[in-house]
Parts: sequence; C-alpha cells; structure tokens
Amino acid sequence: MYSGFLATPPTTATYDYLFYWYLFFGTAASVVVISLLVFFMVKYRSRGDGGPEIVHKTEGWKVVLVTVLISISILSAAEYQTFASFGNIEIPNDPNAVHIGVQAFQWGWTFTYPDGKTLLNNLTVPADRTVILNISSKDVFHSFGISMLAVKEDAIPGKVNQLWFLVPDPGVYKNAIRCFELCGVGHAFMVADLTVVSQSAWDTWMGS
Amino acid sequence: MTDTWLKRWLYTTNHKDVGILYFFTSLYFGFVGAILALLMRAQLAAPGSNLLSAAYYNQALTMHGLIMIFWFLSPVALGLANYFVPLQIGAKDLAFPRINAMSYWIYLAGGILAVLSFFVPGGTANAGWTTYQPLATLALGTGPTLAYLGMVLLAASVTLGSVNFMVSIIWLRATGMTLSRLPMFTWFMLFTIIAMLFAFPTLIAAFVLASTDRILGTVFFTSTSIQPSILWDNLFWFFGHPEVYIVLLPGFGIIANILPAFTGRPLAAKNAILISTGLVVIPLSFGVWMHHMFLTGIPVSLQGAFSIATIAISIPFDVITLSFIESLVRGRVKFATPMLFALGGVILFIIGGITGVFLSSPVLDRAFRGSYFVVAHFHYVMVGAAIFGIIAGIYYWLPRMTGRMYNEKLGKWHFAISFIGFNVLYFPMNLLSDMPRRIFTYPNQGDWATLNAMASVGAFIFSGAQILLAANLLYTWFRGPIAPANPWGSPDLEWTSHVEGIAPIAESGAAPPTGGWIGQLSGPPQGHETQSRGGAVGHYGHLSSRPIQISIGALVFLIGAAFYPSISGVAGLVVGAGAVVYAFWGWAKDDIEGKFVVPPEDVGDRWPFASVPKLKLGIWVFLSSEVVLFGSFLGAYIFIRAASAQWPAAGSIHEIPLGTFNTLVLVTSGLTMFLALQSIRKGDRRGLLTWMGVTFVLGAVFMGVKVSEWFNLGGSGFVLADPAMSLASSAYYIIVGLHGAHVTAGLLVMAYLMKKTSMGTYTKDSHEAIENFGLYWAFVDIVWCFVFPLFYLL
Ligand code: HEM
Ligand SMILES: [Cu+2]
Ligand SMILES: [Cu+2]
Repeated sequence: MYSGFLATPPTTATYDYLFYWYLFFGTAASVVVISLLVFFMVKYRSRGDGGPEIVHKTEGWKVVLVTVLISISILSAAEYQTFASFGNIEIPNDPNAVHIGVQAFQWGWTFTYPDGKTLLNNLTVPADRTVILNISSKDVFHSFGISMLAVKEDAIPGKVNQLWFLVPDPGVYKNAIRCFELCGVGHAFMVADLTVVSQSAWDTWMGS
Repeated sequence: MTDTWLKRWLYTTNHKDVGILYFFTSLYFGFVGAILALLMRAQLAAPGSNLLSAAYYNQALTMHGLIMIFWFLSPVALGLANYFVPLQIGAKDLAFPRINAMSYWIYLAGGILAVLSFFVPGGTANAGWTTYQPLATLALGTGPTLAYLGMVLLAASVTLGSVNFMVSIIWLRATGMTLSRLPMFTWFMLFTIIAMLFAFPTLIAAFVLASTDRILGTVFFTSTSIQPSILWDNLFWFFGHPEVYIVLLPGFGIIANILPAFTGRPLAAKNAILISTGLVVIPLSFGVWMHHMFLTGIPVSLQGAFSIATIAISIPFDVITLSFIESLVRGRVKFATPMLFALGGVILFIIGGITGVFLSSPVLDRAFRGSYFVVAHFHYVMVGAAIFGIIAGIYYWLPRMTGRMYNEKLGKWHFAISFIGFNVLYFPMNLLSDMPRRIFTYPNQGDWATLNAMASVGAFIFSGAQILLAANLLYTWFRGPIAPANPWGSPDLEWTSHVEGIAPIAESGAAPPTGGWIGQLSGPPQGHETQSRGGAVGHYGHLSSRPIQISIGALVFLIGAAFYPSISGVAGLVVGAGAVVYAFWGWAKDDIEGKFVVPPEDVGDRWPFASVPKLKLGIWVFLSSEVVLFGSFLGAYIFIRAASAQWPAAGSIHEIPLGTFNTLVLVTSGLTMFLALQSIRKGDRRGLLTWMGVTFVLGAVFMGVKVSEWFNLGGSGFVLADPAMSLASSAYYIIVGLHGAHVTAGLLVMAYLMKKTSMGTYTKDSHEAIENFGLYWAFVDIVWCFVFPLFYLL
C-alpha cells in the first residue's frame, strides 16, 4: 500500500497480502462474469431472422447450483484469509508494548505518552516496538486512521478503543494520520504527523 | 389549466395519477440532489479549492445523501410501482386509494421541510446522511430540525405506503394471477415493501429521538454517560442495512421483469431468483448491520460473525446475477434502450458487489472505512445498479404511460454517455482508499489531485447525460410516434393479458394512446380505463380532498415544532394539529355520508390470505410495523438502562401501586373490548354499544391517571433539566408518551365507532371495523404490558 518504508510494518504486510488476495479473486471474478455477460449478449444477439432455437424453459437449477458452489468456495476461502489476518485487529499481549493515549477533539488529536507528556497532532513512537493506542474522543464521533499502516479505529466519546501497530524503522511521516469520520467543519484538516524515533531517542525523550 | 385539472391533481386517489405525481416529484428531487453533487464535485475538482466553504460543503453533502436516497431513489421506484403494480396484478387500484394519496402528500411535505431547511439562518443538516451522534445534535439551529422532521414524515409516508402495497399485492390479484404468475417487478416490490415495513419504523424511532432532543431538550444523544454514538449507530444501521436493499431491489425487479422482453426467452432460474431474494436476502439483511460498526470497538469475535453473515448475503446476489446472464443464453438479444440500461446495470452491479465483498472483511475495512472506496462502492450499487435499472424501467414503460414511443437513438446516446460518464466519475474513487470521504478539500498529495479531477469531469459528463433523458421524456410526451399496444410483445398484464378473463388493454381502441397521462392533460378528466376484469369502473368517482389537507396540517405542525417554543412555533403546532384533526374528521364524515366509496373488488387470487378481509390484513401489516416501532424505542431504552451507571430506584419515582392499578384498568378494558366484539358477533348492537362504552371509560380513566401522574412528576422534580433525572425522564416522557398517544388515538376511533354503531351501521355479518379496532386495542394493551414493568418495576 505504501512503499516509503525501509522494512514493511507487520500490519501493512498483512493488509497488503489480504488486499491483493481479494483483489486477485475479485478482479478474476468480475472479469469472468462480465465477459460471460458480454459474450452471451453478443453471441445471442438478434440477427434479423433465424438464429438458433430459442429456449422456452425457465428453470436453470444446474447453473444456480454451480454458482452457489463456486461462490461458497471462493467466499469461504476469502473469509478464511480474513480470519487468518485477525492479528491486525487483535491487540497483542506484548508486555513490552508502549501504550499511548489518543484523544480526538474538534479538531485535532492529543497524544498522551507513558510519562504523562502530551503532544498535539504529533504521534511519536519508538521504532520496532509494539505500539498500542487507547483512542477516545472529547466531543463527537471521530475515526483515527493511519492509511499506510492499514489501521483505523473509531474515536468515540465515553469509550476507549484500541489499535496496535509497529514500525520497524525511524522516520517522519507528515500528515500520515487522518480523521475518517465527519466531525464538523474542521474534519478536512484533522491531520497529525507520525514520528518514529529510534529506541534510544525514545528513551531519552521519555526521560526528559 | 382548468379548475378540474387542478382538482384532479390535488385530490386524486387514482393509482396512476399518484404514480405520476410521485414520478415527477422524485425527478425534481433527483435534480436538486444532482445540483448539490455537482457543487461538491466542482469544489473537489482541484486540491485546496475555495468554491464551497466547509460549512456549505457539509450541508450539500448531507442533503445530497438524504435527498437522493429518500426523496429520489425510493420514491421514483414507488412512482413506477404505483402505476404498474396494480396493472400488473389486474387490480383496479391499490387497496387503500386515499391512504395512497396521503402517502404521496406526506412524502412531498417531508421534502418541502427538507428543502425549506436550506433557507433558515444557519442552514440545514450537516452531519452526513448517517446523522452520526452527538455531532448531529450538537449542531444547533432550526435547519437541521426541519430536515430531521422531514425524515420522520418521509418514513411515515413509506410505512403507510408499504402497508398499502402489501395488502394490494396479497389481496387484489385478479383471478388467475396466482403467485407463480406474478410479474417480477411486482415480486421485487413486494420484497422491497416487506423490508421497508420492518426497517423504516426504526428510522422513525431514531429521528423522533433525535428531534425531541432538539425540540424538547431530551438528552438521548447529548448525555455523556451512555455512549450515545453507539446507540445511534445501532438504531441507524439496523435500519440502514436493509435500506440498501430497499433502494436496490426495485431496480433489480425491473431488470428481471424486462429481460425476457428483449431476449425472447423466459427468465432463467426464476424461482431461484425469488427464493434468493425473498427467503435469503430480506431476512438476512436485518442481521448484518454491525458490519457498519467494525471499528466501534466491538469484540473481534463479533466482527468475525458479522463478516460471515455479510459475505453469506452476497451468495444470493451471485445467483441472481448469474441467472440474469443465463437469461441471455439461447435467446435473441435485442439492444433497445431499456435492455442497454438493464445490462449496463448488471455490469455495474458486479463491480459494486465485488467491492462490497472487500468491505465485509473487518481487516480490509481498517483501510476502507470512511474513505472514498466506500463512496465508490455504494454509488456503483445505488446509482449503477438501482438507477440504471430504474431508467430501464422508465424507457420500457414510457409507451404505456404516454401512449407514445421514445426516441431510440437518443436513448442509446443517453445510455452510452451515462455508462462512460459513470465510470469516469466513480472508478477513480475505488483507487482513493487513503482519502477520507466527506472532506471539503484536500492537499495535493499522491495521486489524489489526478483522480479527483477525473471524477469531477465524469460527474459533469454523467449528469449532462441526464439532460438527454429529460429531452427524451419531453420528446416522447409531445412528439413521439404513437406506440403499438404492446411494443415489446410482453406477456405481462400491464401490456396485454394472457390471464383468462382479463381484457387486453388495446381493446379500448385501435390506435392508442392507451390511456396514460397524455390524453388527459387537456380537457376535463375522463374516467380512466381499467384493465381489470368486469366492466370498466371510472376511477374519477373517488377524488378526496382529505389526503392533501392532512399533509398540509402535518407540514404546518412540524414547522411549528421546529420553531417551538417561539410564539410562531406554538401557533404552527396549534393550527397544524387543528388542520389534521379537521381533515381526519372530514375523512370519517366522507365515509359516514358515503361520499367516498371505493368500488368493491371482485374475488380474485388471494392465496394464502383468502379468508382474511382486506382491512384486517391492513391492520395486521400495520401493527407488525408498530411492533418494530415500539421495539426500537424499547430497545433504545434498554440500551440506555444497560449503559447507565445509575438509575433512580424502582418505586422512587413512579408510584408502583398507582401504576399497577392503571395496568389493571387497561387490561380490563381489553376484556371489555372483547365482550363488545362478542356482542356484535352475535348481532347484539346494544351489547356492543354498552361494552364499547365501558372500554371507552376505562381507557379514559387510564389516560386520566397518566395525566395526573405526569403533573405530579413534573412537580416533584422528575424533569429534563435535572441532570440526575434527565435521562430517566427523557425516556419515560417520550416512550410512555408515545404509548399514551396510541391510547388517545384509540379513544378517538372508539368515539367514531360508537357513533356509527348508534347509527346502526354494524351487524352480525358486517362489523369489520369493530374487529379491526379490537386488534388495535389488544395491541395497545400488550405494549403496555411491556412498558409497565420496564419503567415502573425495574
Ligand atoms: C450526479 C451524480 C452523483 C454525483 C456526482 C455524486 C457525488 C457524490 C459526492 C461527491 C459525494 C460526497 C462524498 C463524500 O464527500 O463523502 C456523494 C455522497 C453520497 N451520494 Fe452521491 N453522487 C451522485 C448521485 C447519487 C445518487 C443518485 C445517490 C443515491 C441514490 C447518491 C447517494 C449518495 C450518498 C448516500 C452519499 C453519502 C452522503 C454522506 O456522506 O452523508 N449519490 N455523492
Ligand atoms: Cu473528522
Ligand atoms: Cu450494510
């Protein structure tokens, strides 16, 4: 999905695999089905006179059965792939994880770090460590998303939702974070930066 | 433009006239929605543009969504259904013509509220068509209130309409029109109506709660202690998912209906299509709503379950799509305009449906939710499949409505440009899954600018193409060559008749116009021809001024409500309520005086409801939607109770002994109503009058106690203004009040029935109205049996 990383973050990798899986079968299915439609439409077009014998029966359980069987097999395989990717949305039980609070408000994000520090519109995380965000909202329904990591969770007043990710290498990603639920006139500008720092830089920063 | 012309269109109850009213009104709203869309697309054509401010963009966005779905897409289908379902089943009209007219006028009144809302200071609703809370409620002002009240009216109109269609399709089929012969469009309208019947009451509940928050100061969606966002999500999406099929199925019904006319062979796997839609899609559609809530923090296991349910619902659609394609095989495909739109619709549905499978995966949804990918998906389905299907229907039936042929060449151009424009408009959005939707502007980032520019160009191509549709409509109407009686050689009843005993439409004259609107626009109204068996009954017998009066009353009342508590608001409430009461009184009076009589329907095919009278069936259907309505309110209440950390203890607010007494009173009134029924079943009119009198008194006592309770509660501080009591009192006053309103309506009907009884109307063999009222009253009793323990004892 986003190739600006040195090493692909795990959530992105899982997402990419799953997305391309769906894309492959989805494209294949639509190409096959649409071609069938076009093929029959052309093959059986009316040619003035004559043409092949017209059928008069309406039943077609054979085709129905085949359709159902093929659909069930592709769709179960898809669902299997999805379930196999649930690691993306299950919060890992990692004692070494960094917990950061996220509070959405009209219109911005406040990030609260383990040492109590807060930053506005800047999510700073250590590289190569599991980050768990505890997301809530001060006022209305927002949605916290980082597209390049394929993570997103709603920010709902009175409720805390969690998401996790891990970025292997340091880097600064401007406007990587966006709000994905209409939250008023400032919605379009509700962005934040993602800063990934090395473990040592993180430790220093936490200590300061 | 004579007096009679106006009178005809304002007072008509004829299904064709009402259909035409629906048709043109919905096209008007479609035009409004399209203008709003073009404003948005103009704003988004380039990054950082300043054409629309964020505030205006959000309003355009919200009203575009609401208007397109609720005032354009469903109503245009209902318009065609109004016109053609009775013709397809060989009925003289819908089951309840006056209620049908009322549905239309209420729909229009709702639309007027929605349009008015743009013009009040502060503008209209701006929280998206999904109206997420608490954003929507925190946006103060009269504009959003008007729009939301418009939604309540719209939903009420749809509920009435669905009762009407349901009874008509079940009960008014001509002899020989067995279910196995029912045309596909009628079948699909039946499925649509069933989904509407159970989905829209939840929408009513949601918007009533949202509106009382705005008007009366209840705190359903502003209270911070109960996660109102989640309450709204559940209410809205329980409605919202069935709604996507509600907008889709009429288009599919049209495609299924017209394919055979252009392939020369029967629809393939017709029964499989019916089973897929009726027995799989419709029931399942009420069980997948949480796929809209994957990100709200629901447990992963629940996400998995809803993902499976969602993917399962795509299987019947595979069956339908493949059967449509199989319907081409060994046929002779003719590419007339309706067929092009039908096939185009199927192709676009395939693309939209497959992107839907992507969205069913909670893992992938982490990328797509709230992004342009979703916008692409639902436009492919709603505009691509549904609207292309409906346009196919418009071309297909235009000759039937106008008696004239459309221009084929223009139609083909219309299709070609629409199809290309559509894909230029929406395909790029599939690639914009990292761009949030509902943003009024965006930075020049990645490929956003290119893709958005493309979409905007496509928007103007696609919308421009619709001018060709308008041109073709006008051309057909005024200039089109006279159409043959059955230009498509269709076997369906609206074109001809293969059912024994039903006269073909062409019978009335060699050279049609076969009686559409065209022949009647000038000159005084003539009796409509009818296609039903037996002698033609002119429908001009039943004009009624009541439906429009009721709707005007409702409009004034709700405008008043939106401006409450200002003086003009109160005045509006009083005048509007007065007008509604006056109109209903007039409605009853018309009945008593025999001024409005619908010719009785002949015996037809009514399986499986042959032994149920028409009105009773209507009451059953209506009450089943009422069950959903109360279920939604009580469900909301239970949600609130479960989410609240504190709640006033049982007995501390509501006096349990008094409540118990009142419960006994109401239950007793149920018994006395039963005795009243028993009396008239034996032919004992005095017994009926006596027992009904007792029922009335008991009902009045119940209401009296209620009113005194409310006075005491208000005096003792159980008020919205007290933060400790605000949630409990919001729920109590609104939900118990709703039940009280039902009891009061029952009392009014009882008064009317007693008057008719004393006039000697009811006899042993003819007392349907009493039976029906008995059902209603039993329902009101039963609801109380849920309300009482929930509010008093727990
Ligand atoms: C003229 C053709 C149309 C164009 C150019 C168009 C364009 C748009 C645009 C730009 C948005 C805003 C997307 C966003 O910011 O999230 C939108 C939203 C929407 N459109 Fe359309 N649209 C068209 C037709 C329709 C039709 C016919 C329907 C339904 C019958 C429809 C239903 C919706 C809905 C439900 C939304 C979501 C509104 C919301 O986010 O609250 N649109 N459309
Ligand atoms: Cu936002
Ligand atoms: Cu859904």
